[in-house]
Amino acid sequence: MNLSFAGCGFLGIYHVGVAVCFKKYAPHLLLDKISGASFGAIAACCLLCDLPLGEFTSNILRVAREARQRTLGPFSPSFNVQELLLESLQEHVPNDAHIRVSGKLHISLTRVYDGKNIIVSQFSSREDLLQALLASAFVPVFSGILPPRYHGIRYIDGGFSDNLPTLDENTITVSPFCGESDICPRDVSSQLFHVNLSNTSIELSRQNIYRFARILFPPNPEMLSNICKQGFDDALRFLHRNNLLNCTRCLAVQSTFVVSETLDDNMDYDPECLECKMHRQEALVSNLPETVMTIFQDAIDSANKGIINWLFKHRSVKLLSLLSLPCILPADVMYATFTNLIGNKIESYTLEYNIIGNILHTSPQMISCGRHNMTSSWFILNVPKLRRNLLELRTFFLDQLRMLFPKINIYYQQMPQTIKCELDITEYGSNIYDMEEAAKTDNLYKNKKNLNLTLQYNKLQPWKEHSSNTSNCVINMSNLSTVDDTFENILQVTSDQEAVMAYYYMDDNNKVQVTEIFDVTDSESHAMLSLDEIENNTKLQFDEWDEPTWLSQHTLNDAVTESLYTDANQQNLENLSEMSLEDDILGVLNISSDPESEWEISRNIQTRVSTPSNFQSEVN
Amino acid sequence: MANHEIVRSKSWFWEWFNWSGSSSTMLRAAEKKILSCLRTAYRGWYVDIGPVVGTSDKIWTISLNEESPKTPIVLLHGLGAGVALWCLNLDALASYRPVYAIDILGFGRSSRPAFSNEAQEAESQLVRSIEEWRREMQLEKFVLLGHSMGGFLAASYSMQYPERIKHLILADPWGFPERPVERISRAPMWVKVIAYIMEPLNPLWPVRVAGPFGQWLIEKTRPDIVKKFSPVLKDDTAVISQYLHQCNAQTPSGESAFHAMMQHFGWAKNPIVRRMDKLSPEIPITLLYGSRSWVDNSSWETLKQARSSSYINVQAITGAGHHVYADKSEIFNKYVLEACNLSDSIPHLTVSDIRSNIKTINEQQISLILANEEVESKAVQEQELNTSQTRSS
Repeated sequence: MNLSFAGCGFLGIYHVGVAVCFKKYAPHLLLDKISGASFGAIAACCLLCDLPLGEFTSNILRVAREARQRTLGPFSPSFNVQELLLESLQEHVPNDAHIRVSGKLHISLTRVYDGKNIIVSQFSSREDLLQALLASAFVPVFSGILPPRYHGIRYIDGGFSDNLPTLDENTITVSPFCGESDICPRDVSSQLFHVNLSNTSIELSRQNIYRFARILFPPNPEMLSNICKQGFDDALRFLHRNNLLNCTRCLAVQSTFVVSETLDDNMDYDPECLECKMHRQEALVSNLPETVMTIFQDAIDSANKGIINWLFKHRSVKLLSLLSLPCILPADVMYATFTNLIGNKIESYTLEYNIIGNILHTSPQMISCGRHNMTSSWFILNVPKLRRNLLELRTFFLDQLRMLFPKINIYYQQMPQTIKCELDITEYGSNIYDMEEAAKTDNLYKNKKNLNLTLQYNKLQPWKEHSSNTSNCVINMSNLSTVDDTFENILQVTSDQEAVMAYYYMDDNNKVQVTEIFDVTDSESHAMLSLDEIENNTKLQFDEWDEPTWLSQHTLNDAVTESLYTDANQQNLENLSEMSLEDDILGVLNISSDPESEWEISRNIQTRVSTPSNFQSEVN
Repeated sequence: MANHEIVRSKSWFWEWFNWSGSSSTMLRAAEKKILSCLRTAYRGWYVDIGPVVGTSDKIWTISLNEESPKTPIVLLHGLGAGVALWCLNLDALASYRPVYAIDILGFGRSSRPAFSNEAQEAESQLVRSIEEWRREMQLEKFVLLGHSMGGFLAASYSMQYPERIKHLILADPWGFPERPVERISRAPMWVKVIAYIMEPLNPLWPVRVAGPFGQWLIEKTRPDIVKKFSPVLKDDTAVISQYLHQCNAQTPSGESAFHAMMQHFGWAKNPIVRRMDKLSPEIPITLLYGSRSWVDNSSWETLKQARSSSYINVQAITGAGHHVYADKSEIFNKYVLEACNLSDSIPHLTVSDIRSNIKTINEQQISLILANEEVESKAVQEQELNTSQTRSS
C-alpha cells in the first residue's frame, strides 16, 4: 500500500503527526512507495530516511518562527525560505539518502514551460535529491523569482499540477485539509461542498479557509502543535477504522485488505484477538512521542511567555511595527535584491565558467576567468556570506566567553535548542537566596524545587497553571526602576528576535518569577549595553546558574542517605536518578573544558551510588 | 421524443442579456451525449405533474428496461446534478429491473418553479412533486435510491409514503446528522466575515456569477468529477463539466429550495435523525457511503441503533468519496442489486436478514437468485454481468 502526502506549506507539520503514528503503529505500511508534493515530499523523504522526527519538527518550527518574526511575515524580502530549507536539509539528510529513497520516494514537480506534472523517483546523488525536493517546494514570488533548475529544466512546486500524487488504487492519501482524503481532519462546520484543487479535495469549511491562508503564513507554534496532534489522531483513527494496527497475530488482516480491498475485508478480522485489542487500546490512549512534544512545548513557550512577546502582542506595538514598515521595507528590499542578484550572478558566472571549461578544455581561459572573478567581484562574492560570517563571529565570541567563565558552559550544554545564543538571564522579583534558604530547611520542598528546575527545560506544562498570573509579573517589572534602561535596550535589540526561552514559576511569597532568556550577543558586540550592565548580566548568570548545580549536589547527598531507610521516597528517587543521569551526561561533556572537573568526578561517584540504591528500593 | 421547451418567466433584461450562456437546448445536447454511452436503450420524456409548485410542472424522466415485471428502482440525484450522472450505474441496474431516473423538480431539465422559503414547506413541496410523479407513472411499489440531497428527499418521502417503498437505498445521504453545537470557534475575524457574507447566497452562486467562464470554473475546481466518468466517456470528458454547468447556470429554483432546507453551510434545518421515529420500521434500509466522504458518518451509527429492530445494512465503500456511485461504480452497483434482490426474495426483511450477521445464507440466496436471473435473461451483457457477479460472490 502506498502513501501520498499532500503539499501544504507550513501545514506540513500535520504530516509529521501522521508519520509519527505510522512509524509507531503501522511500520509495515511504510515499506512501499511514498509520494508527495512540496512539503509533503520533504516529509516523505524524512520518513523514508528514518530521520528523527523531533529534529524535523524543530526545523519546521524554526522556519515558522523566522517567518513570523518579520512585519511582512514570510513575504519579507529578506526571508529566504529556500535557503532555510536547503540548510536544514543539508544538515539532516544522510549521505546515502538517494540510495535509500530511489524508487520509493516519488516527488511531484511542475514543469515551468508547459505546466505539466512530472513525478521523479530516481536520484543519482544526494545533491540531486535535495534539488528535487527544493524544486518541489518552490512557490513563485513567495520563495523567489527564478524557479530552480533540476536536470537543467526549471520546475516549480508540484502542488500547482498534482498536489496529491496517487500512484495506484491502493494509495492512502494524507491531507491536512478536510476533504475526500483517507487521512484528513474532519471538520464539523460544514457539510456541503468541496472543491478539488490540483487533485487535493478541499471542503469549503471555515476551518479549511483558515488553513488555506496558513499555507504560506505560518500560524503560531500552538496552532502548529495542534495541527501535528490532529495528524496523529487522524492517522490513528484511520488505522483503527481499517483494522490496520499491527500485531503479529493480526498481520494477516492487512494482506486480505489489500487483495480484496473493497468488499469483505473486515470479515477476517478477529475482534477477540486480545493482543490486537491491547495494541489498539495502547494506540488510542497514547499521544505523540515525547521528543516531538517537548520541542513544541519549547517553541510555544518561547513564543508565548516572553515579556517581549507579551509586549509585542499588544496592538500598539503591532501598529508601531506596521508604521515603521515604510522605513524598514526599502532597506530590506535593498538588502534582499542585492544578495539575491549577486547570488544569481554568481550562479550564472559559475555556470558560464563550467560551460566554457567544458567546451574549450583550455586552462588559460579558465584561469583568466577565474582571475577576473577574483579581482572584480571579491566583495560581491562575499556579501551573501556576511551573515554567516557574523554567525561565526558570534560562536567565536562565545568560545572566548566559555574559556573565561566555565560555568556558562554548563548552561550552554544543557539546552541544545538554544545553542546558537549567548544567554542573558535577568531576574525580577524576590531574591533567589531566600528560596535556597527555605530549601535548606525543608527537605521535601527542596526536592520538589530541584525537580522543577530540571523539568523546566523539557516540560513546561506544569507551569501553565501559574502563568495566569502574568499581570502580576508585569507590575513587578514596572516597579523595578533599575531595569528600565536595560529593558529599553533589550527591547531595541530583540525587536527582530523572539525570546529563546522563558519560564515562570511561583515562589514562596506567591509572587510570580519571570525568567527571560534572549539573545543579546549582538547587542554586546555592538556595545549597546554599558559595561557595568554586561557585568551585571554575567553576575546574574552566575547567580542563576549556581543554584541548580548547588541544589542538585545537595539533594543528591540527602536523597541517597534517605533512600536507604525509606521506601516512601521511591518516587522522589526515581525522579532524582533521572536527573542525576542527566547531570552525569553533562559532567562527561564538560570534563574536557571544565577546570572544576574534580567536583564533577565526585558527583559522578555520587550518582553511581544513587542508582543501585534506587534499584534496591524498587525491589523492596 | 417531443421537445418540450420549458418556458420560464424572465425579466426583459435577462431575456436580452444571457450572461451565463446557458440554454435548455445545450443542456439537452450535453445530456444526450453523455447518455449515448449507455448500452441499454433508454427513453426520455417529460412527465406532466400539474400544478404542484408552479402552474404546470414537468419532470424530466428517463427510463430503461421498462418491460421487466420486477419492482422498479427510482433514482434521485444530488444537488447540482442530473440524470446523466447515473450513466455508470444505469446499465447494470437496468439489466435486472426497470430503472427510472428523474431530474428532481427545480434541477436539471425539469421545470424550475419558485419554491417556498420555509424549510418544512420546501421539503414537502419536493416530496409532493415526487409523489405526483409516481402517481402519473402509476408505480405501485418501488425501490428508492437517493444520493446526497436525493437521499434526504428519499428518506423524507419514505416517511410520508411508506406504503410505496420496497427498499430504501441511501447513497451517502445529506441532511441526516444534527448540527453540532458550535464551541467558540477560533476562526479569525476575516473568516467569519467571509462566512457571514456567503451564508445568504445560494450554494452554487459562483457558477452563475462566472457566466461564460462557469464551465471553466467547474473544470478547474472539480476535475475529480470529470475524472470519475472518464472510463466510459473516454476522449470527450469535457461534456461532463458542460452538463454540470448547464444544469446549474439556469434559474436556481431547486437550489434555493435546498438553501431553504439548510442552515450554516450544509446542515439540514430538520435533520432526518431528529425524526427517525416517523420512518416506518417495515422499510428496509441500505446505506452506502464512501470511506473518504466528507459527510459526517458518525450519524450512521445512531441510525443503526435507532432502528435496531428493523433491517438496516450500512456499508462503507473503501476508496470512494462522496460520489460513491461514480467512484466505485461496480461495487456500488453490486450492493444496490444485492439489496434489491434481497427485497424481492424476502418480502419482509427483518433485522435477522442483515447480511453481515448471516452472511453465508444470504450469499447462497443471492447466488441462487442470480442463477435464476441467468435463466430468465436473454441479453448477452446481462449474462456477462451475472457470471461475474456469481464469481465474485
